[in-house]
Amino acid sequence: MTELQAGQGAQTLAPPRIDARPQRYRDVLIALVAFVVLALLPMMFGSKQLLDFVIRCAAYGLFATSLNLLVGYTGLISFGHGMFFGLGAYGFGLMMQKTGVPIPVAFVATLAITCVVAVVIGAICVRLKEIYFAFVTLAFQMLIHSTILSWQSLTGGDQGLRGGIPRPPFLGIDLSNHLHLYITSCALLVIGLLLMRQIAQSPFGYTLRMIRDNATRASFIGIDVWRAKLTIFVLAALFAATGGMIMALFVSGAYPEFAYWTISGEGIFINMLGGVTTFLGPMVGTVLLLILNDTVTRLTEYHGIVLGIVILFFAIGLRKGLMDFVVEWFAQRRGEGRG
Amino acid sequence: MTRTRKPGISRRSTLALMGAGAVTFAAPWVARAQVKTIKIGMPTILSGRVAQLGTSSRNAVMLEVEKVNAAGGLAGRQIEMVIRDSKGQPQEAARIARELVNTDGCEMLLDGEASSGSFAVHEVARDLGVLCIHTCSEASSLTADPKQHIPNAFRCVRQGIHDSIVGASYAAGIAKTKGLKKWATCSPDYAYGRDTTGEFVLYLKKFAPDVEIISESWPKLFQPDYTEVVTKILQAKPQALYSCLWGGDLTSYIDQANIYAMFTQMEVFAVNMADYTALTVVKNLPKGIHSGDRYIKTFPPTPENAAWGDAYKAKYNEYPTNWSWQNATAVMFLNEAVKKANSTDGKKVAEALTGLTIKCPFGADGTVTMRADDHTLVGYAIGWGTTIPQEPYVPDVKAGDWKTIFELEAEWKKSKGYT
Repeated sequence: MTELQAGQGAQTLAPPRIDARPQRYRDVLIALVAFVVLALLPMMFGSKQLLDFVIRCAAYGLFATSLNLLVGYTGLISFGHGMFFGLGAYGFGLMMQKTGVPIPVAFVATLAITCVVAVVIGAICVRLKEIYFAFVTLAFQMLIHSTILSWQSLTGGDQGLRGGIPRPPFLGIDLSNHLHLYITSCALLVIGLLLMRQIAQSPFGYTLRMIRDNATRASFIGIDVWRAKLTIFVLAALFAATGGMIMALFVSGAYPEFAYWTISGEGIFINMLGGVTTFLGPMVGTVLLLILNDTVTRLTEYHGIVLGIVILFFAIGLRKGLMDFVVEWFAQRRGEGRG
Repeated sequence: MTRTRKPGISRRSTLALMGAGAVTFAAPWVARAQVKTIKIGMPTILSGRVAQLGTSSRNAVMLEVEKVNAAGGLAGRQIEMVIRDSKGQPQEAARIARELVNTDGCEMLLDGEASSGSFAVHEVARDLGVLCIHTCSEASSLTADPKQHIPNAFRCVRQGIHDSIVGASYAAGIAKTKGLKKWATCSPDYAYGRDTTGEFVLYLKKFAPDVEIISESWPKLFQPDYTEVVTKILQAKPQALYSCLWGGDLTSYIDQANIYAMFTQMEVFAVNMADYTALTVVKNLPKGIHSGDRYIKTFPPTPENAAWGDAYKAKYNEYPTNWSWQNATAVMFLNEAVKKANSTDGKKVAEALTGLTIKCPFGADGTVTMRADDHTLVGYAIGWGTTIPQEPYVPDVKAGDWKTIFELEAEWKKSKGYT
């Protein structure tokens, strides 16, 4: 068979193109509704704790969902994703403290720095597979953590960035106002999730799934696996850094713990709780973990045991995350209904 | 027409009864509202490697709060402590501090966080304007750096710079007497270790100019194996060693260095040795290690200090730690400041705290002061001595001179650009 014939065969076998636009509109609509609901929350409930909770959800939610782009969609289990969370927090904090540039400039510049660092680290890491990839990412994370600790004149060492992060108002937004910070965090969360959703649903997103399922096959049909993996590694890093910036604004500082392996561990934990097969799984996991953390630490100092039991329940009992379980349960019910 | 009275209770008596009932039932509520409890929030570390210190902070606070409550509370209001675990994570410390104030209604904060956590809580205090007393962070910059200064935050903790000045002056005296010229250092590789060692060496050279540092080791924090560090120091053959390792790191180091008989080959100056958490854990505590006092019930050698140490031991079946006396002192300060201000209003208490001197079992002369310029604790008992393997562990502690401390601290602040 000639190449031409093969091409013709492929054309006849190709499934009809599905127009992705209606789904995109639906996603945008859902995002808008979610933002409006979040924005109305402070009017319905006066609780500052609730606002703090949502701000933290935004930071961890962006971080965990971006990790899922690697773990769930590409099959790259990164143990060092927290380094970008820390990099975002430090990059933004330092930029605001040292240069005094407007917040949007610092935001974009931090993303640019994260992009460069992620390209360098990713170029080395994504050549590796499975456990090797996991461990090399972990090694880079520890390298960044050690650098933060040692480069005391710049980062403040283990004491972190002290003296608060200045927040000059821009475009009528004053991030030292709690409500403004809340709305901005919600906006970043919704926009971030929407963008990640578009990445996941795009042809590139499906390429990633193919790489996850069979990388050899993907490269045989002409996909540059290394480039695709590197692209998603860098994109995920950018969203994680955005999460780090929200956290830096919330605590008005940046601390070495933000770049420590425990943050990456929490990201994996959130993904296990929420589930990796659905897009919103990590977001659900974030809400679950933060609720668990906040309530359990109030009740007992043996919170480690409680959280451990919960994760055991999910890992051994359900054998999947909560959203995976719910989606499967719905699918099963629908199947039964049809049957 | 005559009105006949219906049998049963009249409307008037019903109203009277209801009124009486309401008063009876409401009385305790009204009374309670008048003497409403005052909630004080405290984020501290109750899990992980330094949990023992966090727990000892909580114990000390509760010991003192019980005394204050028994004596009628703060301006007639009973204290209710709300203590939560931050796991040593700054973001958790910040979250908990905000939650304690915004949701739990705490009117004051005792910040039982170390290092980065204390800076995170400091930012919360700056943001919310709540009265906050740091009780565990020894980082000098927390109060020395004017950028950190806020009117509502205080630090009731010993300071790295004070320890370095007293330690170096004590060590220089011994160096001159025994002719110790070749020194080595071995401290944990993070800001506290590097800063404290740097300051110690600076002042050691100032007091004894012919001292020379011939070897430096920087083991990682929480490093389990110190063999390479111990052998490196032994090979350098120094006459004296300075270390600011602490807690489990210090005890592991001593146990491992004991195998190489290090303590017979050089004079060892370990600033954090004289704390019961280290003294009672080391398997074979060598005789003659020089150490700064952290908490020891024999220093200051007063009946008040001994009684406090014994009361703590009797209640919790263990000795207090360095964090314990600092937290206890913070409660004592609050109590006295509220008395002085005759109010529990945060701003008034903060004003009263500024420059306040109180009687305290841990004071060098029986009193301690919250210095007005930088809102930090001064005048506490600070000194150095040598260890023996059994109680009282450090029998003879030589007290530091606060006059020298103040002079050199002022110079240090100038050199850092703080004044």
